[in-house]
Amino acid sequence: MSAEDNAFRELIDEYVVECLPLAERAADALVDLERRRRAGTGGDELLGPVKGWLHTVKGNSAMMGLTPIQESAHALEDLCAALAEHGGGDGAGMLALLVEGGGLLVDQVRGASRAGAVEGVAGWLTRAAAARGAATGNGKSADRRRAERRGGAEADGAPNVVRVDFRRLDTLLEVLGEGLIEQAAVAEAFRRVARRAGSTPGVPELDHAILALAKTMKRLEAVVMETRLLPISSVFGRFPRLLRGVAEGVGKRVRLETNGGETALDKAVLDRLGEPLLHLLTNAVVHGIETPVERRAAGKPEEGILRLGAVSRSGRVAIELSDDGRGLDERRILARAEELGLGSGGEDSEPHALIFQPGFTTAEQVSELAGRGVGLDVVAAAVRALGGTIAVRSRRGEGTAFLLDIPLTLAIVRSLIVEVDQERYAVPIAQVAATVRAEPQALHEINHRGVALWRGGLIQVTDGGALLGTGGQSERGRRFYVVISSGGRRRGILVDRLIGHQDVVVKGLDPALGRPDVVSGTTILGDGRVACILDPVRILEQRVPA
Amino acid sequence: MSDALLRFADELGAAGPAEVAAPVAELHLVTFTLDREAYGVPVQRVREVIRVGEITRVPQAPEHVRGVTNLRGRILPVVELRSRLGLTPAVLTPRSRIVVTEAHGRILGLLVDAVLQVTRIPADTVQPAPEDIRTPEADWLAGVARRPDRLLILLDLDAVLLLQR
Repeated sequence: MSAEDNAFRELIDEYVVECLPLAERAADALVDLERRRRAGTGGDELLGPVKGWLHTVKGNSAMMGLTPIQESAHALEDLCAALAEHGGGDGAGMLALLVEGGGLLVDQVRGASRAGAVEGVAGWLTRAAAARGAATGNGKSADRRRAERRGGAEADGAPNVVRVDFRRLDTLLEVLGEGLIEQAAVAEAFRRVARRAGSTPGVPELDHAILALAKTMKRLEAVVMETRLLPISSVFGRFPRLLRGVAEGVGKRVRLETNGGETALDKAVLDRLGEPLLHLLTNAVVHGIETPVERRAAGKPEEGILRLGAVSRSGRVAIELSDDGRGLDERRILARAEELGLGSGGEDSEPHALIFQPGFTTAEQVSELAGRGVGLDVVAAAVRALGGTIAVRSRRGEGTAFLLDIPLTLAIVRSLIVEVDQERYAVPIAQVAATVRAEPQALHEINHRGVALWRGGLIQVTDGGALLGTGGQSERGRRFYVVISSGGRRRGILVDRLIGHQDVVVKGLDPALGRPDVVSGTTILGDGRVACILDPVRILEQRVPA
Repeated sequence: MSDALLRFADELGAAGPAEVAAPVAELHLVTFTLDREAYGVPVQRVREVIRVGEITRVPQAPEHVRGVTNLRGRILPVVELRSRLGLTPAVLTPRSRIVVTEAHGRILGLLVDAVLQVTRIPADTVQPAPEDIRTPEADWLAGVARRPDRLLILLDLDAVLLLQR
């Protein structure tokens, strides 16, 4: 690739970064506009900002020579103007055209770097031109267009904001991690010197400086973490438009209400949260919300309501997604569980939790949109992979709510440090249910597998050395077991020592290390040693060999 | 010239086959020992040579990976070069070193028995390895250099580290 190509590529990337949010905002507002106009509750005040966003997209597209996108934005602008003149109602079919066009524009901007036209754009342009002509005769005066253009330019101002490539923030975090480790090393070395010199180190300035450095590093860490946070609305914002299409496809009427959109999460977490949430929402529309006829019969408003809310609680974010649909059918769930041989759900006596089991579905026909293999088990796995939990609550006839609990960040993880065969490992606290002294009389062997009596029940206990490939010989001598827990599954892991709790900076696994399925990453401990971070979620997914 | 030898010359700064045809005058190498033989890699690919510190085992890592170590706050995977080249695994001695290589933004360490020197050798002393000792598994073999006192085995680092070419 030539230098010119590279430069162009960078420009296109910049263009997408700037224009995609504008196109998305416009498209969402158009969905909202359609809903409110049809319901007779106004909505025309949305047209002003929409035209501003469209105008910026149009201008930037023209600058980049992206003529098809420029044309779409222009046609949307004109349609907006025609709609405003047309007054209330659906504006001679223009509302649906606007929503469709908004979606196409988003697709076009998102795919700006790829060659080739977005499907459906040409047809839409023809229909848009026809509708506009029918509505307004010969369009509007040049004066008005100029006035709108000025309005658009004003909407763009964003003072005191710098756009930074997220990879730079990753690098910043990496460097911060190195700084934290070096700071710990300096403090450790000073303590050793002080011990050798007797009780008084004799250099109070140094002592103070080390303490001050520790505090500053802590603050630096907080600031760096803050730069990585994005409001969850950046994920929520995509949903109204996507759901509108889903609802239309299955003949439902749905409104999405969100709150807590300002709740902030690490971008790395957000990037992996959108898909599971969208699955849940799609499921709710397809399976949860009833058809308008059914709803009327049940004495509910025809339009179903989905509520999506987020709230932050000490280092974690709680997300609740609820619908006012038909609720889960407990009897069918239990019947289906029996068919699949899932028993009663093991320790979770809650039958609703069975829907997170692999292969579970009670939907009678696999619809185009939900179902088809990607079930709630996949959603649950994605949430657990983020170190989160998912639960469900439902009442027949009243609706279903999914409750997610997600860590704020993946970059720094509170962990329990343990030692097995002289190697140290970090176990994320989120998945540690308990640490237990391994009393020989409480450990048993059934069918060549270790089990322990714990809190009145039996749990399987695996030797840490066998799990991690360092032996398993000294099993008898292990003094503790750590109970890891995720998605209702639990298992004890025998370890030699419990070292303590520590916030660890997560470092990735180099591809040269293969793809171990018991380890999710590495970290550097306070003493400078590298430790592997165990992956309890995947450990619990494995069957334990005898 | 073999493909591996061409790549080796490439790494030493020649822009392409046209320049390789008129051979570069000198090769700049870091040389080290494994078992009883001496090996060389282009100095341009070596970031530094460090003493062996605490190496942490990584569960389920490939056999030729010894583990990871802390290189001033970065995680350095350490390749057990002897295993990778089909020799018996290394026993650490005070002379053991890790040759830290850098490529495509990644760092990887090679555990070697001892580092000999950084040296320049005339390019015309290099020849491809004899046909019958080149096996598909030994794709890391870039060539052999004749020195007055010994043979130097030249390694194709990308092949050793199983990196994308």
